[in-house]
Amino acid sequence: MPGCCGCWEVLRPPRYKRLVDSIFPANPQDGLVKNNMDKLTFYAMTTSEKLDRIGMYLEQRLSRDISRHRIGFVFVAMDALDQLLVACHAHSLNLFVESFLKMVQKLLECEEAELQILATQSFIKFANIEEDTPSYHRRYDFFVSKFSVMSHNADRNENVRTKIRGAGLLGLQGVVRKTVSDDLQVNIWDPVHMDKIVPSLLFNMHTPEFMSVNTESPRDEEHPAYIAEMVFRDLVCRASYGNVKSVLQPVLCHIDNHRLWVPNEFAVKCFKIIMYSVQIQRKQQYGYLVIQMLMSHLDTHTNSDPSIKASIIEVLYESVLISAGGSIGPSVLDVFNTLLRHLKTSVDNKSPEGEKRNMEKKFEEAIINTIGEFANNLPDYQKIEIMMFIMGKFPQFSHSEEMGFMDNYLQTMLLKTLLKVATKYKTVIMNNAFPPEFLHPLLRISLLDDPGLRVVVQEILHTLLDRHDNASKLKTVSIPKDVVSELDLTVDKVPRQDSLFMKKNGIQFYWHILENLQMESNKADNFEAIFCTMCLITIEMGGDDILVELIRLALDIQSMTIESTLPKTHKCCNHAIVAAYLNVLAQITNMSPLVQYLSDLFELRRKEACHLLPEFAFNRSNRDSSVKDEDYPKEDKVEEKWLFDQTALQDILTECGHDASRLSAPLAQRPHSSMGIMIHDSGMVNSMSDIGSINIELDSIESSPLLARKKVEEITVESLKKMLAEDQSVKREEDAKKRQEIFETFQNAPFEEIVARAEAKSNCFHDKLYEILEMSPPSSPDHTTKESQNAVPVFEMQFPSLYVY
Amino acid sequence: MDDYKYLFKVVLIGEAGVGKTCLVRRFTQGLFPPGQGATIGVDFMIKSVEVNGEKIKLQIWDTAGQERFRSITQSYYHSANALILVYDVCSQLSFDNIPHWIQEIEKYANTKVFSYLVGNKIDQINRREIPSHIGEQFAKRYEMKFIETSAKEAENVDALFYDIATELTKQAHQQALETDKGVNFKAHNTSTISSCSTCLRF
Repeated sequence: MPGCCGCWEVLRPPRYKRLVDSIFPANPQDGLVKNNMDKLTFYAMTTSEKLDRIGMYLEQRLSRDISRHRIGFVFVAMDALDQLLVACHAHSLNLFVESFLKMVQKLLECEEAELQILATQSFIKFANIEEDTPSYHRRYDFFVSKFSVMSHNADRNENVRTKIRGAGLLGLQGVVRKTVSDDLQVNIWDPVHMDKIVPSLLFNMHTPEFMSVNTESPRDEEHPAYIAEMVFRDLVCRASYGNVKSVLQPVLCHIDNHRLWVPNEFAVKCFKIIMYSVQIQRKQQYGYLVIQMLMSHLDTHTNSDPSIKASIIEVLYESVLISAGGSIGPSVLDVFNTLLRHLKTSVDNKSPEGEKRNMEKKFEEAIINTIGEFANNLPDYQKIEIMMFIMGKFPQFSHSEEMGFMDNYLQTMLLKTLLKVATKYKTVIMNNAFPPEFLHPLLRISLLDDPGLRVVVQEILHTLLDRHDNASKLKTVSIPKDVVSELDLTVDKVPRQDSLFMKKNGIQFYWHILENLQMESNKADNFEAIFCTMCLITIEMGGDDILVELIRLALDIQSMTIESTLPKTHKCCNHAIVAAYLNVLAQITNMSPLVQYLSDLFELRRKEACHLLPEFAFNRSNRDSSVKDEDYPKEDKVEEKWLFDQTALQDILTECGHDASRLSAPLAQRPHSSMGIMIHDSGMVNSMSDIGSINIELDSIESSPLLARKKVEEITVESLKKMLAEDQSVKREEDAKKRQEIFETFQNAPFEEIVARAEAKSNCFHDKLYEILEMSPPSSPDHTTKESQNAVPVFEMQFPSLYVY
Repeated sequence: MDDYKYLFKVVLIGEAGVGKTCLVRRFTQGLFPPGQGATIGVDFMIKSVEVNGEKIKLQIWDTAGQERFRSITQSYYHSANALILVYDVCSQLSFDNIPHWIQEIEKYANTKVFSYLVGNKIDQINRREIPSHIGEQFAKRYEMKFIETSAKEAENVDALFYDIATELTKQAHQQALETDKGVNFKAHNTSTISSCSTCLRF
């Protein structure tokens, strides 16, 4: 500007005012005067220090127009503000923004819907601008409040209502966008704001008719429900680790308040959105936070209606599905503990009303499924840990008062849970699938009193043993001519580790199978399940090394059956199982002489004693008492020739090139071997609580010989049961004292002394043991002769090398 | 340049159907909407009044009484300068719930919030269940101000809001004296807006 300008300025308004005035047309319908607007924009961009004043002047004009209801000019002014805002972004916007926001607020305070919408649109444009200058004193409280109000608009005119709600929702998104990345701004995650924003979004999302509408059609994009969902996704996406909770709390609260848990479609939908959104940016790491929140929310609903709890669990389940690997987070056991606790609470407070009880059952079912799904997301080694954890909840293993009395139903539930987790486990090597800390308690609960529960335990064993999907094909006991092809079995070579595993742990399996078959409460299902377990062991681990033992198991079952006082039906079942089992074993191991021997014997039985074959013994119609009396032989007598002969089998084995010498010694019925198991088991009772701690080892070593000596006279199922049921607390105290003593001795005493003492003790123990062995009644003639030679490996197995000293 | 001296936020709370929205409508628009439906979430109105020659702007947040909106309405208490707790003089139930509302206030609102107990619908003389003095006693016990109104007959409605405006202005003046300048109430987005407000009717 040349120098003459000076005199003009006295008389005329400043240039920026003239420029601003010139953009307003004579008739508001004409809209912004485009040429002049360009001039103003250019002026504002070149002399950015004047921007503030332009803003203030526009603001003045605009509020005047509002108060005079000159709506047309209001639109023009806002248009100009928007254009300036976009053109002059970057620095020095700060004060201009102040004027701008004041304008927006002014418009929002108007009652006219169109002005509110206009204001929102401008605000959204502004929200998309990235400012680079910090602004210290800007407040968005009003905007959050007002936009939330708009989102709840209840105008009678549906069109207006839709528009205002949509504008409000987008406005909320704008505020979030504007504040979230700027540390100087208000903390948008503060509950004060989130309690307004989140319910506004959810309220709009929850439109029943919208849930079913096809979201593809373009018209729906204007629908508040659609906008709300989009904004909600955006919001959750932006939430950082620390902020996820502030979003979730209002969500849970909203669902509670609006009673949206039952039915839970909306809740499921919300959490699906949350789970997907949370993962987008953060690589699934935050998923578990959502899960955690849901869990703790479940806690607050402990006493609520079971249907609500079931719904929450279902939501949890869906979320876990989405979250996959990231669902658990750092506190694995806590997750399972919480769920198990809810399971227990539900079972404990069974409702007498049928209707409610059904809901509770649904809830319990849902918990089990959810636990299974959680477990599915864990690495395999942790699945075993989880199964051990669940087993720890059984009264036999639980030391805590918390679980206290447990009824059958809860045990069933726990077993079902266990089964669920087990099915998710993929067995590769038996040694990993059955660490001793897991195997022993599992086998122990296979001897529960309830036959139904025992079936479940066998099923757990099936799913863990079965690597080739054979279990389902072995559900019925039968004697096919060609096992492998008729039952469509998949048989693989047995890995070496598994043979080793069986060498070490086989005896456990055998003994428990034997015990299981002696249970008088067995039903046909039990027999079938046990048969399946036996076959699976043979298929999965029946290498040459343990072949003899497996056949010996059959003989043991046979002799046990003959000696026992089981009912006729049970005896027939046992014989049938032995027959079917040997058939499977012979054919899988390809021992044609054995197959021949068996088929001859089957032929004989078919003619003379068909009640010893599965076709008869497992024919369920026999169970009717009327049929039974006629068909079953009157006498209990089983002729020698119908049975599998030990010497014959021994010859066949030798013929096939196996060392059959071990066949002559019964496996599991030897008193010391069952005693050995007992010792081992009693050790396990303690170690269940804290696996792997060293004092437990000391403890089991020290206490087991004493225990063994005490119990040696009466080793029966009854005595075992008694032992299981024995009061733990007294024993525990004793044990603790003893442990302390041992600790002290081993810590304080000189080495030589310890050695001497240990030697003496072990000598004493050995003496005692031989004494016992001599005392034991000679049940079969060749039994005792082989005794001592067989005893050695058992000792090795049971007592670690520490006993050398 | 200022078109108002102070801005106050007033929040109305109370059971559903006691007439909160009608009170606000009567005050801001001067009408009594027959068959007013239940408020959804929160509603917003603005009104300027003059107290001793000073222009005061009242932001009125009218909350839904329905239980399901409780969580969003609670979030509005927080920044309120004054709370109007409304009950229906014809409904014992709405009065019985007042202690519950007072708990809410204590829990969510500012500690020094100025609160008013209002018995609405006094035009329905025959159906009245809560005598005037009972309400008054109650208000005294909880250190609240008390008034009975009728949104339908426009009785005491203006008086209620003017009293609130006057009281809050007085507080603001005191505060201004204490802190030298009225920073606290003027802190946010309240300064410098020129010309007068649209809603000015008084």
